[in-house]
Amino acid sequence: MPKHIARLLMLMVAFIVIAIAAKSFFTRESFYRYGHYRADSVPAIAGMATSFQTPKACINCHGPRHAEWSGSVHKTVICEVCHGAAPGHPEKLKVLIPTDTLRLCSQCHEQMPGRPTASILQVDLRKHFPDAGQCIACHNPHSPKIPAAALVADRKSAESVTASCAACHGANGVSTNDAWPNLAGQNPAYIARALGAFKTGGRASETMGPMAQTLADGDVANVAAYFSSLPCRTAGSGHAKGIAAQGRSVARQCNACHGTAGRPVNPAWPSLAGQNPAYLEAALTAFKQGQRVNVFMTPAAGALSAQDISNVAAYFAELNCSARSQ
Amino acid sequence: MKPDSSTDIPARRIFLRNVTQGVACAGAAAGAAGLLAATASRAADADAPATPAVRAPAGEAASFPTADYDWTRHRWAFAVDATKCIGCLRCVEACKRENHVALDAHHFRTWVERYAYVDGNEKPQIDSMPDKENIAAAGSETVYRFANKYRDSKVDKAFFVPKLCNHCTHPACVQVCPTGATYKTKDGFVLIDHDYCIGCQYCVQACPYGARFFNHARGVTDKCTWCYHRVTKGLQPACVEVCPVGARMFSDLNDGDSVVSRFIRENRVQVLKPETGNAPNVYYVGLDKEVS
Repeated sequence: MPKHIARLLMLMVAFIVIAIAAKSFFTRESFYRYGHYRADSVPAIAGMATSFQTPKACINCHGPRHAEWSGSVHKTVICEVCHGAAPGHPEKLKVLIPTDTLRLCSQCHEQMPGRPTASILQVDLRKHFPDAGQCIACHNPHSPKIPAAALVADRKSAESVTASCAACHGANGVSTNDAWPNLAGQNPAYIARALGAFKTGGRASETMGPMAQTLADGDVANVAAYFSSLPCRTAGSGHAKGIAAQGRSVARQCNACHGTAGRPVNPAWPSLAGQNPAYLEAALTAFKQGQRVNVFMTPAAGALSAQDISNVAAYFAELNCSARSQ
Repeated sequence: MKPDSSTDIPARRIFLRNVTQGVACAGAAAGAAGLLAATASRAADADAPATPAVRAPAGEAASFPTADYDWTRHRWAFAVDATKCIGCLRCVEACKRENHVALDAHHFRTWVERYAYVDGNEKPQIDSMPDKENIAAAGSETVYRFANKYRDSKVDKAFFVPKLCNHCTHPACVQVCPTGATYKTKDGFVLIDHDYCIGCQYCVQACPYGARFFNHARGVTDKCTWCYHRVTKGLQPACVEVCPVGARMFSDLNDGDSVVSRFIRENRVQVLKPETGNAPNVYYVGLDKEVS
């Protein structure tokens, strides 16, 4: 073999050996295990953390709300669609409480060419109560359907039903006794929810239980719409046991849900502004002592002393019931 | 008559693969012969190992990739009923948050297109989230919304089509990847190994569906994984989970009673661009002649 050919062959061999060695050195161990890729990347991708938790994660703490939602037409819209993905909730992350519901709801419900009517109920935003502002003024997002009877806001039929309410809660929705709640101007969704709870026994009351049981579902919505439409009256702290000024600091912890002015953004929660102080005190005491149970209110009231309860009741009684929360 | 071209291409691919493998084997044989000759004539490099370290066949683990999920038992597929889609874009937002995709109007793992035949035009107007009017309607590039822009037009026909990676049975993107960074799993997913991706974007060019995009933050390509990290934990992909009207469906074809199995059986389904031979695995109902 000529010398120059032998040299060339040797060079080629050296190149091949180095290439094979380098390849085995640089190829990661799991490459080629299942194919031309790194097998270890599959469990790495499979092990990534999830963001969306599904409603199964919500039911443990939010049972009543979950039940309300899962019985409604909104049951196909999971919690995190509106409240945002909730990884690490409640320890690390607070879920979102949407405030601009007009924008949120219209994302799906705005009438639009191409949006199939068989899939979803659509409204023309220019015609569907354009002055009502937010959708939650009328609709409870967890159970949005308003019974046909209530849509008419049938004042006459509501008045005939509410005659029996008037004995205690007043014909104008202002109670005759400080120990009973004023209903005038109260959030309709909250009134409907409370009546529902009295009806099913979820909230025990010797007077309200039998009263609510006589109401049909359509009546409940009518009554709620009727009382909420009446002008409210601020009770004031004149008869209150506590001192309103001292209740102010206690009330700070209530603001997140009940609003800075005692008027919550979510109509499913009660408006507290201008409510009778004796009623507020009785309600908080009932939560504290366990006669009423609620996932938020039981621990909140449990942390208050009897004096705190009197003071915070006086504070809310003084707030102007017709002012809006910021 | 020429046979259907879609069956031709896989055959051509197989032929080319066989040829390259043949050439590789011949090369290896030549190399080995050369190696022997070199050892016989004189010493080769003393430092280099004589043969590459033999990789153990790594006896198949009982369950791979996780202890609770065996990928040999599943064959996943996705279905879209475009006749139900309302274009609310909850899927698009959920995908961005679930998979930490850049919150702008130009990078999407899944997206929704709107086709509208307006004012008697024969061709539809097609828009999606990057459209200026839609960005304006959303008010920000971190949330997504279709502007109601045909509200006052004469619309002959309009509909929405959700799109995502088709996780093809013969994925062109996997074929062109020079590093083995993208691959097909045994349970039917096309995944990307971001540690191995060199960002050359051949796969972005190869995908006939435009499903891949470049992740500028990480310098790698990115795309829908059908939420592999959720599916292997027994959950549905985020977009399927949040769809309020059930337009998106996902299930295991190995279960003949699963939702996609029944969807395929009970409807006349279509796939996008079957002529490319990629054999996509997203089954559609309610497409139209202009949708591809």
